[in-house]
Amino acid sequence: MNDLKESLPGLTRRNVLRTALIFGGIGLLEGGRLVAEAAEAITLPFERGRRPLVAFPQKRPLMVMTTRPPQLETPFQVFNEGVFTPNDAFFVRWHVAGIPTSLDLNSFRLKIFGRVQRPLSLSLDDLKHNFGQTELAAVCQCAGNSRGFSEPRVAGGQWGHGAMGNAVWKGVRLRDILDRAGLEKTAVQIRFNGLDEPVADGTPDFRKSLDVEVALGEHVLVAYEMNGEPLPWLNGYPLRLVVPGWYATYWIKMVHEIEVLNSVDQEFWMAKAYRVPADPCGCVPPGQKPGATVPIGRMTVRSFITNWQDGASIPTGQSVTVKGIAFDQGHGVDRVLFSADGGRHWQTAELGKDHGNFSFRAWEARFTPTAQDTYHLQSLAINRIGEAQRTSPRWNPGGYLRNAVETIRVNGI
Amino acid sequence: MIVIGMVLGLGITGTTVGESAEDQTTSSASFTFPNDPAGFRPGPGSEIASGYCLICHSAEYVYMQPPHDSDRWKEIVHKMKHVFGCPVPDEQVRPLVEYLVSQNTEMSVDLLKKPDMPVAVTGTAGNPQSGKTVYERHCVNCHGRSGRGDGPIGPALIPPAADLTHQNATGKSDEKLLALIRNGKPHTAMPAWKNALSEQEKLDVLAYVRTLKK
Repeated sequence: MNDLKESLPGLTRRNVLRTALIFGGIGLLEGGRLVAEAAEAITLPFERGRRPLVAFPQKRPLMVMTTRPPQLETPFQVFNEGVFTPNDAFFVRWHVAGIPTSLDLNSFRLKIFGRVQRPLSLSLDDLKHNFGQTELAAVCQCAGNSRGFSEPRVAGGQWGHGAMGNAVWKGVRLRDILDRAGLEKTAVQIRFNGLDEPVADGTPDFRKSLDVEVALGEHVLVAYEMNGEPLPWLNGYPLRLVVPGWYATYWIKMVHEIEVLNSVDQEFWMAKAYRVPADPCGCVPPGQKPGATVPIGRMTVRSFITNWQDGASIPTGQSVTVKGIAFDQGHGVDRVLFSADGGRHWQTAELGKDHGNFSFRAWEARFTPTAQDTYHLQSLAINRIGEAQRTSPRWNPGGYLRNAVETIRVNGI
Repeated sequence: MIVIGMVLGLGITGTTVGESAEDQTTSSASFTFPNDPAGFRPGPGSEIASGYCLICHSAEYVYMQPPHDSDRWKEIVHKMKHVFGCPVPDEQVRPLVEYLVSQNTEMSVDLLKKPDMPVAVTGTAGNPQSGKTVYERHCVNCHGRSGRGDGPIGPALIPPAADLTHQNATGKSDEKLLALIRNGKPHTAMPAWKNALSEQEKLDVLAYVRTLKK
């Protein structure tokens, strides 16, 4: 072991043991050296879609889009395991590579400053003991989730559908913290900053802002726990912002500064990046440049089939279950429709347990192939204010807001 | 980086990298990041990509991109330079764009992680004279002519570029230094040069670095 540790940076005995555990003890030892050549990958169904599977610390093998800063996608089959996404499978997306590698939890402080009556400096203990604690199930979805499916293709992180996850978040309501600090009347936006820093001098630090009304919403949390455990390092340990219903770009990880602004944030990550066309569709004709844009905000309604993959075979005459998940921006899923013929006929799927308006909602339908033919399985979610998924994809240069009905092709045999 | 096996019931295999630790007694926590596994493939202009792009991000940022034409790559490099502060000089923008286009027309490089074993440095020592040329071409931006980490962008990096005249560097064995040149330093702007430099160039630049004095 020693010689292994010496020769391989980042590897420790503990790491090897844990890995052996993850893999059910089937780690291969060859001449005292563990073999990596057989590592596998998942290939997403678009050009340049090959993603090696690598287990970062506290994570099972995930699809590596980029190593530094890390962007890791959840293999889609994980979403068939249950409506909550395990912490070790939860996707990872950082913007700048200066991510801390160590933290002193005793000296860590969350600072609230700017247009407030009483600037605060809160320890982790303060947050856990001197405020009310709240738990909430919510989907965290990258604004660029599914960007790789944009047609024509667009620049940016080439995600499949796995840059999302659902978890129970525990923490303190942001508005309780802001109440204690006392917003000045001139407060317009609240800006959040994490401990991550850019590497090069000229790179804009990754900071994001929410309008005061949004930040004061009853569901917005400063969270320290995810699915009953401390946040994984790569998901924002020790604290992250949770903005249910809103894209993950606002869910600042390792959040340590909350700054109350008296004007709209004009920094790069708000004024130039993460923006969508200002019209209600958030789209433009494919290939065109939008005119006016606005910061991306709430998520769109979506659903997925999780238990069948493209190209699967099903014996004719055999009735099978089709399972999936659906979610929206917090109104809650009203119903999910299922079609086995590419959207010509729809049946109503049965909804699973309701874990709250911001959570994934499980659904199920039955399907019996009757011919030796290709069946186009689709699901279409409609939320409680009547918003439905689009039947054809919208397009914008950022590859944002995708919520088209997705299709899984299976063969009756 | 190392262990492979089947995850029971999932059929997913993969490699494992890095580690995390939480020390309850001191209330400190730490995390180890893996290195950029592949870097850029050699080719005309690859030294510019290795020297500038890898300061902030791994090479996969390029290899995952769908086909873009050279105008799009020009826009991307322009954005990196003028919005994200990439210090690439004006005269190197064109060869960089040409390199990125050349990489974007081929199928994705095999980015599977393979552990890079330190290579034993044999008796064939590098040539410090040739190494100086390599150093001045690729290393001075960060490490500086003096080697003290005082190149134009070195001190501003997080963490700052290493002082190669400090005992932290001079005290390292040839094998360790060569491994750093080959594989880069995890979670820093020091990229992996294993593809961008030939084996001989690596040995040469190592020999030159050994001549740098305080």
